[in-house]
Amino acid sequence: MINSNLLTVRDLKKYFDTRAGFLKKPAPVHAVDGVNLNVGQKDVLGLVGESGCGKSTLGRSILRLIEPTSGEIIFDGEDMMKVDNRRLRALRRKMQIIFQDPFSSLNPRKRVIDTVGEPFIIYGMAKGKALKERVVSILEKVGLSSDSLYRYPHEFSGGQRQRIGIARALAVEPVFIVADEPLSALDVSIQAQIINLLQELQTSLGISFLFISHDLKVVRHFSERVTVMYLGIIVETGKTEDIFTNPQHPYTEALLTAIPMPDPSTKRKKIILAGDVPNPAQIPPGCRFHPRCPKRIEPCDKIRPKTTDLGGGHSVECHLRG
Amino acid sequence: METLLSVQDLKTYFYTGDGPIKAIDGLSFDLIKGTVFGLVGESGCGKSVTALSIMRILPPAGKTVSGKIIFKGDDLLNKTEAEMRGIRGGEISMIFQEPIASLNPIFTIGYQIEEAILSHLKVSKRESKKRVVELLKAVGMPSPEIRVKDYPHQLSGGMCQRVMIAMAMACEPSLIIADEPTTALDVTIQAQILDLLRKIREESGTSMIMITHDLGIIAEMADSVAVMYTGRIVESTDTRTIFRDPRHPYTIGLLDSLPKGKGEKLVAIPGMVPKPSELPEGCKFSTRCRYVIEECQSSEPPLKEIDTGHWVRCIRSGEIKRL
Repeated sequence: MINSNLLTVRDLKKYFDTRAGFLKKPAPVHAVDGVNLNVGQKDVLGLVGESGCGKSTLGRSILRLIEPTSGEIIFDGEDMMKVDNRRLRALRRKMQIIFQDPFSSLNPRKRVIDTVGEPFIIYGMAKGKALKERVVSILEKVGLSSDSLYRYPHEFSGGQRQRIGIARALAVEPVFIVADEPLSALDVSIQAQIINLLQELQTSLGISFLFISHDLKVVRHFSERVTVMYLGIIVETGKTEDIFTNPQHPYTEALLTAIPMPDPSTKRKKIILAGDVPNPAQIPPGCRFHPRCPKRIEPCDKIRPKTTDLGGGHSVECHLRG
Repeated sequence: METLLSVQDLKTYFYTGDGPIKAIDGLSFDLIKGTVFGLVGESGCGKSVTALSIMRILPPAGKTVSGKIIFKGDDLLNKTEAEMRGIRGGEISMIFQEPIASLNPIFTIGYQIEEAILSHLKVSKRESKKRVVELLKAVGMPSPEIRVKDYPHQLSGGMCQRVMIAMAMACEPSLIIADEPTTALDVTIQAQILDLLRKIREESGTSMIMITHDLGIIAEMADSVAVMYTGRIVESTDTRTIFRDPRHPYTIGLLDSLPKGKGEKLVAIPGMVPKPSELPEGCKFSTRCRYVIEECQSSEPPLKEIDTGHWVRCIRSGEIKRL
């Protein structure tokens, strides 16, 4: 499965400074607060969590689309945080991103050939006729015909635009793609088409993915491993089947039972969490999940639990398993 | 089994520069009192327009051109605007998708719920204030006495949706129409809101129309369900049957599109929903259907009852089964 690591993230932090009022002290928002993760060659790591937990910030920090506050991002043996801009640009050719909203992530004034062909020009890989040929071959890979070359984004449906976004990411032949909620703006029947496409590309091109999603059913389908984020930290990581059949963190457990299952005959016991998703500017002391945790014990509100390795690549940050 | 609401051959068109768009084209269903009726479909299939047509709050370009909406024996389409104002929020209330956008940002939530009470019930100010606190307590708002003075922006999305539900419940309506009530919310908050709606239904016996794109929510909440495609119902039956024995190729396609676990390629529905101005002749799903035959393209199949209470709009429903 995971032979060698392609990407290793160590203690990555991203704080945003916010000011509630002119005279008030700035309160940093700890969007990503010390995250460790690995992505192997040809690996798909699913990243799940609720809105505001920092999953998109994490995805973008890894590509340095957002400048991280501190930490290490070792990609293909090089620390992304230490390289100069020139080297960063070269490394970025190998890592790409697919965005959530296919309506706002494409430039409305650029034709498909301009959007998908731009990376070739930036990296000096092709131009003129060769460029056109390469764009056509990429469009074929994502299931778009060559007559879409000279059309503008508004002429396409949501699913087709997401295909254009995928084509743009594939243009430079990356080895790693951050897919940030690539399906959530799409209808169910179109979602299935795009999942199939991503899966085909993953197996045929051997690309590694960090697959960010709040939809656990999709994550289970697509990912080799899953990591669960809560308020800027990773609370549990493991192989997909381990996470789904044997979750160890109470938050993971609650997330899993919260998904409505399309089968009226299954009667599962739901764990309904009390309270709201907390504000990342006011992080609770101790375990960050303790105010909502149904299994809270003595030290939870004071001491932050350490990460416990349960073996088989399964790790959890919880006092109950510590 | 008493029918609370009966929609009969409803047609709602939108008049645009390019001619009328048939958002709903011949929709019929019955809602049995005390039950939850699910309307499921993808964006643009007309499920929200159905809700707006029932409430008669269509945008100016939209018009219900024919049909009947029989609610408690009377046709809502024959009511005057003044009578409708009494029904909206009184007899029928609605919960919208975007809770934060549906509340007025410049009034406190207490004021907004109170307004709903005072405009429908003859109660004193003092009583209505008491009722607001009771309602907020019933929908699970922590420390409701203090929260009544909050403005919508001070509350989270989940809390705003609770306020919307409190407002919908204010006059003890007999019907609540919930239009994608949890789509804008996180999974754990969605579970809370669905749980709350379930409780309301158990405790007060309120009938509901649940509009959603999520088949999981249908499975959990609805007693019966109608699947919509391009402004029509393609299949309708009780919830168990729709999952056990779906007979319309579109319903089957929707169920097959859902990821079920690790692994195999999903059976996706090819193509996309046709534009309302480019609907095919004959069966509207024929352009994407795996089972299409020549006959499908010539005339639109009627909604046929293939089993007691199981209606399917497909000429091949007898031979088609989900594997």
